[in-house]
Amino acid sequence: MGLFKRLTDWIDFRIGVRRIVAKELTGYLLPANINAWYSMGSILLFIFAMQVMTGCLLLIYYVPDADKAFKSVTVIMNDVPFGWLIRMCHAVGSNMMVLVLLFHMLSVLFMGSYKRPRELNWLSGFILFNLVMATSLTGYLLPWSQLSFWATTVATNSVSSIPVIGQYLVEFLRGGKLVGPPTLGRFYALHVAVIPIAIASLVGAHLFLLKRTGVSTPPFGLKESANQWQGDDYRYEDHPGGIPFFPNYALQDAVSVALYLTFFLTVVFFDPYLFFTRESFIAADPFQTPAHIKPEWYFLANYQTLKIFSNEFIGLSVQGMAMTCLALLPFIDRGRERHPLKRPLFMTAAIGGILLWVGLSIWGHYS
Amino acid sequence: MRQRNPAIKSTSRLMITCILVAILVIAYLGQSTTAGAADNVCIDCHGKLPGKYGEPVKLWQGSIHAANGVACNACHGGDPKDAANAMSPDRGFLGVPKEKDIPAFCGRCHVGVLKDYLASLHGKALGKGGPTCVTCHGNHKVVKASLELINEKSCSLCHSFKQEEIIKGVMAKTESRILAIDAGIAAFKQKGIDTDRLEKGLFAVRNSFHSLFHTVDVARVEMESARIGAELQKLDDLLKGFDAVQRQRRLIGAFAVAGALLFALLFWLLRKTYGRL
Repeated sequence: MGLFKRLTDWIDFRIGVRRIVAKELTGYLLPANINAWYSMGSILLFIFAMQVMTGCLLLIYYVPDADKAFKSVTVIMNDVPFGWLIRMCHAVGSNMMVLVLLFHMLSVLFMGSYKRPRELNWLSGFILFNLVMATSLTGYLLPWSQLSFWATTVATNSVSSIPVIGQYLVEFLRGGKLVGPPTLGRFYALHVAVIPIAIASLVGAHLFLLKRTGVSTPPFGLKESANQWQGDDYRYEDHPGGIPFFPNYALQDAVSVALYLTFFLTVVFFDPYLFFTRESFIAADPFQTPAHIKPEWYFLANYQTLKIFSNEFIGLSVQGMAMTCLALLPFIDRGRERHPLKRPLFMTAAIGGILLWVGLSIWGHYS
Repeated sequence: MRQRNPAIKSTSRLMITCILVAILVIAYLGQSTTAGAADNVCIDCHGKLPGKYGEPVKLWQGSIHAANGVACNACHGGDPKDAANAMSPDRGFLGVPKEKDIPAFCGRCHVGVLKDYLASLHGKALGKGGPTCVTCHGNHKVVKASLELINEKSCSLCHSFKQEEIIKGVMAKTESRILAIDAGIAAFKQKGIDTDRLEKGLFAVRNSFHSLFHTVDVARVEMESARIGAELQKLDDLLKGFDAVQRQRRLIGAFAVAGALLFALLFWLLRKTYGRL
């Protein structure tokens, strides 16, 4: 113990670690009525770290060549020690990341935490959501299976409906007229370098914005749940008399991460095939189109929307408008009230939107 | 105006010529592959004819040949795209084979089966009242080869069914094992397990099993079935090995899940000791 104290003293006297701990951890106070939904961000950070770690391990054996990619994934699954576990963690983790991200967004929506002065927090989070979807889409092609090949063909083909530039965009994405080796090269570069760096940078920006604005107070259990900020000057929302981040809320984060791990490991060990179809384990064959190729569950609503409209461009435009509305929500919904039960219009629109998304996804799955 | 390099010009011409030739070849090949069943003048004409001239088309439509796109000309020759010369010997038309020529007629495609047949007692009785391919498999309405073809009705046309019943019983056991292993391989393949070696192994075993279909020697069938059974056992053992690995993984998973849950409980209890949240 004496040695440990001497060591910490040695470091503290040089760089003032205890003051940082006092300011950023034990002295960093959070709202007294904070709830478990606020730990979604920590779970997402944990998932992102897991994805990076498992992704780096997969990179050791994965070969980004159309002739060798499927075989290399088969080798990872069958011959590399714990390769199956690493791959399953990465594949299941990507789905979990989207799922938890959706829950994080919903909690922010229902607690009105996107409202001013947190417009930039919302925008950075919204871009992160799109980047996660993009990394999932690009990663989908890498195993070079029948599912990868044809799902990417369908996904990239939808861009062709954009007037004038549609066909050029498709060729730009694919690196040719059809999905082929150049597409794999492009998607690989995007998946392992460009998008993860963009995600890491935006996560940094998101946390910086959180640090500058302060953690929002949940609107529950308060007499006054309306936003008090007047917009006249910079204000850091502090929480005098609140609970310390460390150890109190850090332990809540640990509980949430452990519960997430319980769920995650259950899927990984007992039914990882929830996210795989028969075509996932058959090598890509450009000359044999499988009968029913469906996108991942989180793209099913988009897929069904494109099918509903006779013109794909209208389908794309509808989706584009919906996403724009969601991105600009803090600028559209400018009311001060944050409690969901005191915002009937918001509640109707939000629940309607969720039901529509779930309905379209189910329809897409069975169509 | 800028002058184009003559070398580039000639290369461009050559490329355009090559592309046009390629398009023509692809278009031709596309036509010839689709001519298998569709746009077939044999079917068009005979399909409209009454009685024995039209009957083969109706029978063929329910055959394994029709299901696989094998049309009249594949067996009988001729030109299925030229009505006037469809049955001209100049276009390779063979017509109806004589009874003793039937095995050779079918054996042009089913080479291995012809060999097995000729080596069997059935083949040795060819031309002496013995059965030919169509006796059991049917002509035009050719049915898929299966153990169902060995039946009392067909066999009793020439001899008693006693010996064949024993053969069928032995082979049915082997076939059910092959089907079970095939299903097992398919199930593991859907879990990302490399079943390539198993698939190739089963393919080889299935081929040796099929070579027994034309044997009427009980002792040989029993001996070969025992050998095939041993091969199948090896494949079955590999499948059991996969199964054991899967069970082991689930067991490790149960511990991992329990560990994570335990950590959640410990962190929750620890958090409670700090009071407020």
